Amino acid sequence: MKRLTVFLSLLLSLVLVAAACGDDDAATTTTAAAESPATTEAAAPATTQAAPATTQAAPTEPPDPILIGAIHPLTGGLAGAGNRMDNGARMAVDEINAAGGIASLGGAPLELVSADSTGAAEVGVSEAERLISDGVSALIGTYQSGVTLPVAAIAERDGVPLVIDVAVDDSILDQGYSYTFRIQPNATSMGTNGAKFLSELGGDEIKTVAYLHDDTGFGVSVSEAFTAAAAALGIEVITDIPYAPFSVTDLTTEMAQAAAGSPDVIVITGYYNDGLLAARAATDLEVDVKAIVGIAQGAFHTPQFVEDFGADAELFFNSNYHFNSSDPAVAGILERFEATFDDAMDTEAMLAYQAIYVIADALERAGSSDPVDVQAALATTNITDHFLAYPGPITFDATGENTSAEPVLMQVVDGAVQQVLPAGLRETDPVFPGTPWGG
Amino acid sequence: MIRLRQIAAASSRDLLILLGVVAVLALMPLGVSSFTLSVATAALIFALAGIGWNVLSGFAGQFSFGHAAYFGLGAYTVAVTFTKYSISPWLGLLLGGLVAAIFGLLTGWISFRFGLKGAYFALATFALAELLRLTFNNFDYVGSGVGIAIPLAGGDSWGTLQFENTPAIRYFVALGLVALGTLAVIVIKRSRAGSRMLAVREDEDAAASLGINPLRAKLGAIAISGFITAVAGGYYVMFLMFIDPDLAFGPFISVVILLRPIVGGVGTIWGPIVGAAVLSILGEVTRSLVRDPPSFLQVIEGVNGLDQVMFGLILVLVIIRAPDGVIGLFRRFRKRSSQ
Amino acid sequence: MRGRSRAAVWAGLAVLVAVAVPQTAWWDLNHTVFAQAVVSGLLIGGVYSLVAMGLSLVFGVLDIINFAHGALMTITIYVSYLLFQNYGVDPYVSLVITIPLMFVVGVGIQRFAINPVMDAPVHNQLLLTLGIAIIIENLALVLFTGTPRSIELAYARNEFDLGVVNLDFPLRVFGAVVSLPKLIAFLVALLLAGVLYLLMQRTQLGTAIRASAQEPEGAELVGIDVRRIYTITFGIGAACVGAAGSLVLPFLFVSPTAGSTFTIIAFVVVVLGGMGSIQGALIGGLVIGLTQELTQLFVPGSSKFLGVFIVFLAVLLFRPEGILGKARR
Repeated sequence: MKRLTVFLSLLLSLVLVAAACGDDDAATTTTAAAESPATTEAAAPATTQAAPATTQAAPTEPPDPILIGAIHPLTGGLAGAGNRMDNGARMAVDEINAAGGIASLGGAPLELVSADSTGAAEVGVSEAERLISDGVSALIGTYQSGVTLPVAAIAERDGVPLVIDVAVDDSILDQGYSYTFRIQPNATSMGTNGAKFLSELGGDEIKTVAYLHDDTGFGVSVSEAFTAAAAALGIEVITDIPYAPFSVTDLTTEMAQAAAGSPDVIVITGYYNDGLLAARAATDLEVDVKAIVGIAQGAFHTPQFVEDFGADAELFFNSNYHFNSSDPAVAGILERFEATFDDAMDTEAMLAYQAIYVIADALERAGSSDPVDVQAALATTNITDHFLAYPGPITFDATGENTSAEPVLMQVVDGAVQQVLPAGLRETDPVFPGTPWGG
Repeated sequence: MIRLRQIAAASSRDLLILLGVVAVLALMPLGVSSFTLSVATAALIFALAGIGWNVLSGFAGQFSFGHAAYFGLGAYTVAVTFTKYSISPWLGLLLGGLVAAIFGLLTGWISFRFGLKGAYFALATFALAELLRLTFNNFDYVGSGVGIAIPLAGGDSWGTLQFENTPAIRYFVALGLVALGTLAVIVIKRSRAGSRMLAVREDEDAAASLGINPLRAKLGAIAISGFITAVAGGYYVMFLMFIDPDLAFGPFISVVILLRPIVGGVGTIWGPIVGAAVLSILGEVTRSLVRDPPSFLQVIEGVNGLDQVMFGLILVLVIIRAPDGVIGLFRRFRKRSSQ
Repeated sequence: MRGRSRAAVWAGLAVLVAVAVPQTAWWDLNHTVFAQAVVSGLLIGGVYSLVAMGLSLVFGVLDIINFAHGALMTITIYVSYLLFQNYGVDPYVSLVITIPLMFVVGVGIQRFAINPVMDAPVHNQLLLTLGIAIIIENLALVLFTGTPRSIELAYARNEFDLGVVNLDFPLRVFGAVVSLPKLIAFLVALLLAGVLYLLMQRTQLGTAIRASAQEPEGAELVGIDVRRIYTITFGIGAACVGAAGSLVLPFLFVSPTAGSTFTIIAFVVVVLGGMGSIQGALIGGLVIGLTQELTQLFVPGSSKFLGVFIVFLAVLLFRPEGILGKARR
């Protein structure tokens, strides 16, 4: 017995040591990194700065930080994306603070309070409640529709605005909540625009589609929206194959089923891991289709997919939200993220980054950190210099949806993920018909 | 069958303890943040689910590894009847309990008739929960993978069982349900039905030879057990305002439900509640430790997964050192100190 | 079970089948797809067999429900991945390292964590192994974060001219594809099954293990150190599932929860094949693999694991000792 206790204590210490050697991108909170704003000293030398209107004779004490809560899956199966989003938010907070914080509040710095939803709705809810009782002015999160829905209910109940960075289900904003705002395109938008892109891409060459999607709310809602929109455009979904994204170890049979009906195009909706399995299956089978198109697919537009799948990733399409890669400011953000966290920034992280900027903008206009005031300011948001590939500014309609949020169609061309549609955001011409194994 | 006065007399000590526990827990909302209250409410809900589990697996000795089946059935019954038929959640709780009890009787009858016992029975319960999960995941009527969201009614309403403005009431209702559940368990334990269950747990063949019908005893246990756990599931929906197949029937839920009574002490009246309290506190402690560690442990700050590792380690320690749960540990301690 | 109750259940089943079969539209089925389902099912079934063999051994000899079984697989997935990424070690070569490594890890776990609960009630064993699984999975998370990673073998799509036959991967068999990593996993799994079988039947150690499983007291009497046998057996079981981890790396992905799906399936296979039976695990694994893929084919619009769990329940009800197990009742 005593031996066991010794062993377990040793194990516990080993764990603590391991934590010290563990990846750094999960380590520090923002407060340590935030530099105190240096712009409001009246005694500063006469270099003209974009000084805020409020000047003080001498700083008596720095303004209280404004707390923003971030709820993401930092552990569990989706921890990769969750951590990246948390890092994106952190970077935004650091940058805003370095630029002087919230001017209309006397240069008050932002403070990010990170919370782990662990991928479970109940934990997300209790973490939301904890953050709210800690006094956050707003929340961002949560990556999973199943967690975001109950958290939105809490936000509504407690009167604290929630800016959704990633969560696609339409139903979240169908509840009539006024405290929840979403900056990414919702499921209907994903499905409808996906159908539109197919129509634009292939014209008469795309008449039939086989749809492979995950069987969670994500895959179901997007595929349903797509099927309806596609029908109106003369495209028929001849085969619909749901699969369990977190338990499958192989999708070859499903892919064979999809290919069996000889569709023009195979469409896939799902998460990263299963996207990888689907890509492998398609490549093994060398499915005879004109293209493989992801719709809101978690893998095909990521640099990691291209890196891991290599040359075989070439010519995969994905219609998904994307940061505006043709914007030079965005290039700078990507570089800084990579340098700070030693990890490539994906659109999810960019959305979290953007969500912080949206809140900061609202705080500026509200001139108050009270959640009710922030909500009122958020409702009238109009941001044109955002970082996402949308055709218009970020504005919210009455239900909280970002009216101009649309996905873009991307393709892996010459080993890089490039935007191909809409034409206005084109980085390279699409290669269609085209599959990596030559179709 | 149930001779109330005699039972009341025999269990007067337990009833007094119940009164005391409720009184203490009722004081909790005073001066406590809504976050802590929310955690406490969730803990109570799962304590109730564990109380139900304990009837089948603790008293009747039939270890269930798929109690999420009942939890989920209760949850979905409330969700569906409320959103589709505007039936009051109070009624929904009762209906959910009935649905679960019937499910338990049906599946229990088949399982016991086929002689499933021990590990085999446990695996069968797990398979049933998974089957329910997979079925509901593809069933459009209940929202398939998307699940069902409960619309916010606004304000406080006993009719719709939503208390937007006063989280304390939500807590008290949960406490009330737990008290009722414990009361039921106290009565059952002292009743003839209860002693039949215990006899079957100890030695099924011996019990049969004494004239007890093991099948009847086990079926009774499974019905009561399913009912109580379903009520917990039904209330959980009103707490979370949302349900989907994973949340309702997932293996995670089954584990959470059985963890509480086992850590507290299987087959004891207070096991589930003690276990819920211990695990709830443990979870929060490990999480806040990683969130805000003391200066000499600064290195572990924000490291994700560490709180779970600590939780796992402590769980392993508890199982090895305290196989009869916290209450068992307590009893051993008392026995040793009285010697 | 009495005649009338039995008849009632059979009648119920008949109704179920009568309702379900027309839904499958089996007459409409495409031959290529069917061939693919069978091939995929068999290939993954081989891996299931290997994973289940380890569990069956542990279950049969130590009578322990090991819920950390899949988590052990996660360990070797990571180890093989690291060896590949940092030192260019081919995953199949890494078996030389991972098999002995997992044997040692298994021995360690059994000695320090499992031994104390050998005589404890089943729910304690279950929770203990669950706790171990939580520790392993989250340690992986702490050390490597949750970013999913994967590898692709450079030679996976190559042509191999073996003189007698020319193999161009992925192979085409009756219109179905057989990818190289999956084929290797399947073959190695069979090979290890054979090795394990020989170990159990033809060596002294194997005899000691079997004796300890059937009659621990008797074995003790003839001088077998049963406690030591338990430890070794757990080690062997861990080595089996560890080997499976290295084998699946090329066609799966690396994440802290990568192995957990296999835990449940392993249990189904063990029950189907019969606890303690190596051959049973082999057959059971293939059957479950086939069931899984064929369900996908025949019952579209539902999860392919539905069929697996129905089979599971059916076995538990009608033949809990499994295909090759000895009747325990």
